[in-house]
Amino acid sequence: MTRMIRLRVNGAVHEVEVPSYRTLLDCLRNDLGLTGSKEGCGVGVCGACTVLLDGKMISSCIALAVFADGREVTTVEGLAEDERLHPVQQAFMDLGGFQCGICTPGQVVAAKALLDSTPNPSEAEIREWMLGNLCRCTGYYKIVESIQAAAQEARP
Amino acid sequence: MALRIVGQPIGRLDGVDKVSGSARYSADVTLPGLVWGKALRSPLPHARIVRIDTSNARALPGVLAVLTARDLPDVLVGRRMFDMPMLARDRVRFIGEKVAVVAAVDPDIAEEATALIDVEYEDLPAIVDLVAAVEPGAPVVHANPGAYEGAPAERPHPNVQSVLRFKLGDVEAGFREADRIFEHTFRTQLAHHGYIEPHAGVVAIDEDGRVQVWASNKMPYRLKELLSHALQLPKERIRVNLTPIGGDFGGKGSLMDLPLAYHLARVTGRPVKMVMRYAEELMAGNPRHPSVITLRTGVKNDGTIVARQVKALFNSGAYAAFKPAPSVNLGGAGMGAGVYRIPHLLIESLCVYTNNIPCGHARSPGEPQMVFAGESHMDMIATELGLDPAEFRRRNLLQDGDHLANGHHLEHVRAKETLEAALEASHWSAPKAPGIGRGVAMTHRHIGVGFTNARVRLETKGTVTLLIGLPDTGTGAHLVLRQIVAELLDLSLDEVQVELVTTDVFETDSGVGGSRVTHTGGRAAYHATEKLKELIAAEAKKLGAPDASLATIAQAAAREGRTLEASYFYDAKAHAAVTSFTAQVAEVAVDPATGQVTVRHFTTTHDVGTVINPLGHQGQIEGGLIQGFGYALMEEMPTEDGRISTLNLGDFKLPTVGDIPPLTTVLLEDPVGPGPFRAKAIGEGSISAVAPAIANAVADACGVRIMDLPITAEKVYWALREQERRS
Repeated sequence: MTRMIRLRVNGAVHEVEVPSYRTLLDCLRNDLGLTGSKEGCGVGVCGACTVLLDGKMISSCIALAVFADGREVTTVEGLAEDERLHPVQQAFMDLGGFQCGICTPGQVVAAKALLDSTPNPSEAEIREWMLGNLCRCTGYYKIVESIQAAAQEARP
Repeated sequence: MALRIVGQPIGRLDGVDKVSGSARYSADVTLPGLVWGKALRSPLPHARIVRIDTSNARALPGVLAVLTARDLPDVLVGRRMFDMPMLARDRVRFIGEKVAVVAAVDPDIAEEATALIDVEYEDLPAIVDLVAAVEPGAPVVHANPGAYEGAPAERPHPNVQSVLRFKLGDVEAGFREADRIFEHTFRTQLAHHGYIEPHAGVVAIDEDGRVQVWASNKMPYRLKELLSHALQLPKERIRVNLTPIGGDFGGKGSLMDLPLAYHLARVTGRPVKMVMRYAEELMAGNPRHPSVITLRTGVKNDGTIVARQVKALFNSGAYAAFKPAPSVNLGGAGMGAGVYRIPHLLIESLCVYTNNIPCGHARSPGEPQMVFAGESHMDMIATELGLDPAEFRRRNLLQDGDHLANGHHLEHVRAKETLEAALEASHWSAPKAPGIGRGVAMTHRHIGVGFTNARVRLETKGTVTLLIGLPDTGTGAHLVLRQIVAELLDLSLDEVQVELVTTDVFETDSGVGGSRVTHTGGRAAYHATEKLKELIAAEAKKLGAPDASLATIAQAAAREGRTLEASYFYDAKAHAAVTSFTAQVAEVAVDPATGQVTVRHFTTTHDVGTVINPLGHQGQIEGGLIQGFGYALMEEMPTEDGRISTLNLGDFKLPTVGDIPPLTTVLLEDPVGPGPFRAKAIGEGSISAVAPAIANAVADACGVRIMDLPITAEKVYWALREQERRS
């Protein structure tokens, strides 16, 4: 069974017909060509597929596309504004917050969500918030430093 | 020489596409008409395939092809020893072995179709236990392993894939000199690399009949050779297109599903993408070998080691195909000697066939296993001798001019300095509260060897392009290469670009791995740039303008139809006489009620060469260290009758940001490496000593000695209860 759904992704509206079992991640990647969000574990624990649904952080590999019908999705491709990287993205580059980069789309989307709700997080708050985003390259130290620096940068 | 760019902590200028989501990894590659491949895997550890019925799968709308071994040429694949079928032929040898493969218009239909394939199996006796597998009369995994291409000749038991020995002096004579002899046996677990990107690849046969490949593979030229072998096609017919790799850690060097993707592409006439699910990674993704390691060490009463014998069994699983070394064994076995001067030494390492997941190379292959065993053994001996563990090590450390077990002699040995720096930084001798322990462990690692091609080209706008065939596994190596070229030509980093080239461009390249890239890629780029500088100087002289800008020089050459470019092939065959030492100290707290181990602080000390990019260098240390931390405390894939019970990343625990301990890093810089600007290597230096440092700290904290990894609260808890019962 397929359904026509209407998604607003990074500000652009898409109408797409999907089977009811299609995940939001597969819809973004394969139907809309937005391959920034990655599939790692496929069961909602690694965080590589993290996107924002109406501003809230979710694992798109275990959310159905039909569940997002009529709603607003923000992916890593939507973080930069006018070609200018989000402070979190810039900090990850400047401070070694990524290596291979496969978990990075999820990391930066999660970190943006944190700073949206908590502009000045403590190190403990960063660690708590980022628990759901696995990284196998960095050992996390530089991810924490990057988010701290981005919070500094974003503060007016 | 004053350096401008080499030695600067430069961020990942090359990473805009990674942080913005536009980087195209193999799983992101799409082509017109692309279809999806999916494999059906064996549910049994050892069985005869009686019959495969694919008719229901073929009938599913959207399915384009279903292949079994009968549809494929009878070719075995591998990296050095060729013992693995692309699809099981008549017999399956582990749970997860591929028995059929489907191509369909979308991944969901492909997966559904695999469930419609009906396979009738007849159970065969399986051998899953490592020690039992080499006993007389054990069920045999392969009838005639010696007949496989690339099989080593020595085979003391039909289930032995390979034997690797390291020998110094006369070990029996050495034991006769000993006052006391200690023997301990250690076990290590099965553990996947944990890269977040599962294996992915796309294969397309273009209009010229060439096979175009995009794959998460770190050795493109070796991949081309191995595909040529597997597909029975000339190398020239195959082109590997480089993509970023989403984590390697030793695991991304094999063919994996690519031969099947090719055959599906051949049969369907469509480009085929195959992406493993993570459950497939965990059941068939060439993880780190489990081991059983026995060390026997003879010492004099003054604490001097005179002899050591090491017997290591590595559980290689059902196939040897994933091991790349000519020995078809794990070079890390040589670390049975540790960082110590042992005049009489015999190490014997056996890789063993069982009906388990085939294992492969993982970051510093064999070393985390061997260093856990060796460095735990050192502390157990120190305790028996009544010596401080640091002092026992101090009395036996390698020195200048000593020989390693593999015969290499050593220079610039800084084992003692590295140890002392770790002890000082960790406040080794400071008083401790009850329940707190400190443990030290050491290792060292060679600087990788191999061969790399580089080409540098002066562009007419005065910038320089470096052409290289080394894919990006995440280490920041391309940035390091840019730093080297920019430094030598007195350019800014922005004026040097890296162009990744396909396997059509160079003759060969050993690719990424074995802590070699800064050395081999760096030296290739260095020497190519030096040659380019000579061309530039000659051109300037010809122009009669020694101070002419690079743009002027390049344009002058262009006007005569010439491009100024230089190539260099750097080939390091033998290891340098220097290595890098590591000393690490863990400080732990053990909860006496639960057995929970908390690492309160970790100190890591490294004897390094010139550090080209301190930010990337530190990233390698931290990443490797936390992999070692996970290996020590949580990563484990328990198996029962060959069935792995942790088939997702929720059950197979990797460290999270909440787990990482406070860290102190100390670097002892000594510019004596074989790399560019006298760099050494760092990628595999921080992983191996973590587990024994923690195990030794646990013993120090509560008297409990854990001899099998990982060090879980449950094991410590039961050992504490046993300790109470005895006292």
